[in-house]
Amino acid sequence: MAKAAALRKPKKKVNPLDKDGITYIDYKDTALLRKFISDRGKIRARRVTGVTSQQQRQIARAVKNAREMALLPYTTTAR
Amino acid sequence: MRHYEIMVILDPSLEERTVAPSLDTYLNNVIRSSGGSVEKLDVWGRRRLSFEINKKAEGIYAVIDLQATPAAVAELDRQLRLNESVLRTKVIRPEMR
Repeated sequence: MAKAAALRKPKKKVNPLDKDGITYIDYKDTALLRKFISDRGKIRARRVTGVTSQQQRQIARAVKNAREMALLPYTTTAR
Repeated sequence: MRHYEIMVILDPSLEERTVAPSLDTYLNNVIRSSGGSVEKLDVWGRRRLSFEINKKAEGIYAVIDLQATPAAVAELDRQLRLNESVLRTKVIRPEMR
């Protein structure tokens, strides 16, 4: 028991969307979407973002829509 | 009738104040003539693109909210794409998520 706790302590993540009361993820809201992409422009994994799987899908779709409209980058090389 | 949101990226060499009137003529010809209604026409203005489109680093963004039939929106999108000063368009149904 003590050993397992020492190995990994499951830290409860707060859902960043529920916390701010966001129900609809808009692809135009780049400030919000930037929280969910890495500095290289990749979409962050759900285990990092801590949102529900439904929200993660909506985020992914919003990011992809935003990329098509050049609001977010597809890739960013070391910056 | 459905609610649509259309985003358009226009050539940055256009005059910004001519954008709204010229988009409005499109909306008159296609949407209003077919019984639809335009709820909002929002010109964001010049904005830096996160990557180049047709060798252009900037674009004039405009977002249109409207109620129209699917056919009317498809026709509007087609006509916008034919215009060479339109770099990109996107049609979204915001309720579909």
